[in-house]
Amino acid sequence: MQLKSKNKTFTNISISLAAATCALAAPVTAQPSESDSWNVDAGLLIYVESDEQVQAYEGALSITKQIDDERSINVKGVIDVLTGASPNGAVAQNRAQTFTRPSGNGTYTTAAGDTPLDDTFRDTRVALSTQYQHQLSRLWLYSGGVYLSKEYDYLALSINSALARDFNNRNTTASAGFAYAYDTIEPEGGIPIAGVSVDEADNRLTDSDTKQTLDLLFGVTQVINRQALMQFNYSLSDVSGYQTDPFKILSVVDSNGWANDYVYENRPEQRSKQSLFWRTKYNLQPSGQVLDVSYRYFWDDWGITSHTIDSKWRVQLSNQHFIEPHLRYYSQQAADFYRVYLDENQPIPEYMTADYRLGELQTYTIGLKYGLPIAGNEFSVRLEYYLTQVTGDDSLAKGAGMAGVDLYPDKSAIMLQSFYRF
Amino acid sequence: MKKNYTLKRQADYWLGEFTVMASPCQILLDNLDEALAHRLTALAYAEAKRIELKFSRFRDDNIIARLNNTDNETIALDEETTRLINLADLCFQLSGGLFDISSGVLGKLWHFKQQTQLPNDADIKALLPNIGWQKSSWNAPLLRLPKGMQIDLGGIGKEYAVDKVAQLLQLQDCGAFLVNFGGDIYANKLRNNGDAWQVAIEDPQRLGESKLMVSLAQGGLASSGDSQRFIDIDGQRYSHILNPKTGYPIVGGPAQVTVYAQNCVQAGMLATIALLQGEFAEDFLKEQDCRYWL
Repeated sequence: MQLKSKNKTFTNISISLAAATCALAAPVTAQPSESDSWNVDAGLLIYVESDEQVQAYEGALSITKQIDDERSINVKGVIDVLTGASPNGAVAQNRAQTFTRPSGNGTYTTAAGDTPLDDTFRDTRVALSTQYQHQLSRLWLYSGGVYLSKEYDYLALSINSALARDFNNRNTTASAGFAYAYDTIEPEGGIPIAGVSVDEADNRLTDSDTKQTLDLLFGVTQVINRQALMQFNYSLSDVSGYQTDPFKILSVVDSNGWANDYVYENRPEQRSKQSLFWRTKYNLQPSGQVLDVSYRYFWDDWGITSHTIDSKWRVQLSNQHFIEPHLRYYSQQAADFYRVYLDENQPIPEYMTADYRLGELQTYTIGLKYGLPIAGNEFSVRLEYYLTQVTGDDSLAKGAGMAGVDLYPDKSAIMLQSFYRF
Repeated sequence: MKKNYTLKRQADYWLGEFTVMASPCQILLDNLDEALAHRLTALAYAEAKRIELKFSRFRDDNIIARLNNTDNETIALDEETTRLINLADLCFQLSGGLFDISSGVLGKLWHFKQQTQLPNDADIKALLPNIGWQKSSWNAPLLRLPKGMQIDLGGIGKEYAVDKVAQLLQLQDCGAFLVNFGGDIYANKLRNNGDAWQVAIEDPQRLGESKLMVSLAQGGLASSGDSQRFIDIDGQRYSHILNPKTGYPIVGGPAQVTVYAQNCVQAGMLATIALLQGEFAEDFLKEQDCRYWL
């Protein structure tokens, strides 16, 4: 036996090889020679909230073109139409309430015991975005994009840029990116003065205001073995500017629980958000099932913290059909300045909101996606049900004005989405 | 009509045989009727021949010829070729540059046909600038080879043909089968009688005699080695496995490596990359969590 001159260590490459060779002998899809560098995705979405609140209809079209060996570009267009009503922030009362519309023109009335909904919610949004990818070298990938969306009273502009690099025989990918957004809001009637009565004659400040957001994202994706993939992200977001919702108000309640006045809400001009995200994708062989589980922890300096647990389980059926059940749980703590209503006998605080979306809440989502090939392309339909439970101190429903009213009504919604790639 | 294959009835299976890629090829089909066995063997032959014609470097009318005669120009590859080049690219990286589809030109000097002396060192050095996959530009599906570089998919092609034929047969729902192209093997499942296929691995030292029998129920088996092609000069055995970085054969390694893996290409790549490690072949294999025979 020959003695070896030295020892040498090797890494296990059979996992990478297995992944690469499994797909090798799979049937090559027939492609028309001309259009094989074009990909078109089309989607339609219908979202309906219970109690005739928000309804949304959305159509999206995305086109990806391979420019050359290193570069690809994607252009996406989305149009959505929103109608319906949304809570204006005021509390329900044991008598009918009449509100001035956010525009300042006209009024609407809410029946006794009902949560006040602003019925003037109607908008059409058009969004256009383009994303460019450039494989700089074998291991470096650059991606950058521009986004623009416009609705009646809102304009959003943003740019983003990211770099990713593969390491460790391409088993590890590290990425870093940023996004910068500049939004302009121009609500009908102008920007209201915070803390001032909605019935005040001169309660408008300026015509419009702006908000700037800077996001930083750092991520690592790691191939664990032939079946499993793990992803960790940390993101940091700094928002400055007008973050108040000009359509949201708070009830100012007297000692008997009656709301005699309503004032415009106010949110801080600065917000710093952070989140940690962990995700694992597990590919069960040979059945082809995919389990996708993720957890996100979010916190900001408004005092909001949230936990999100999301799981999807894709089960391959025969003939390339699949079903994918989806379960999601979201739990959020209220912002420090969240108030169900204001007390007439207390000074009006600097920051306050009664928007339930900044309150304490839990959201449960249950959904099912079904996919099948149509004319050789993937078609899928997804149906989801959302239930949002807003929670808080029930003893706040006091006095003749509020005794027995539901301050924290549940909200539910159904979403139907279809998707076709060709 | 003259057939390109023969079909023989063995004890309890059909044996279809043909020659493709200069290798004896066999299809073993468990208990079928004769008409189906004919159809499946014909199908296997047609697919193997298609792959040979498409990827052989000895032809002037295929994608390999087109790539090897370019002057630094970018060529868009079809999906099948893209997959093979992707695999070759991955193997190049996983092997630290030892598995290199651009090293085939060394075969002009190291042809092993009654070769009794080493090629001239200056001739070898003169070829090295044309070798080195890292000098190519590969961004699927676009490939640009520098002028003078020639690629050869011979190191992948036979194993690929085995897996591709197996995949075609599988779609025919034909029961248990074994595909054997010159020692590169794939079996789809246990035989009808519940037994595994018995595969003999040849001992390179004693050609024609079987060294050991391997039970193969499902998966790929591939061998790499210098059992038939080598030069013996002054007692030193020069294998036909060449180091693309030096232009010289790998020395000190095992004569032959056989690997079992999920599919034939994976087995073949592991066997070849193991041999490229020379005296460290077994150290490499031990890390791969695979069954192997030296």
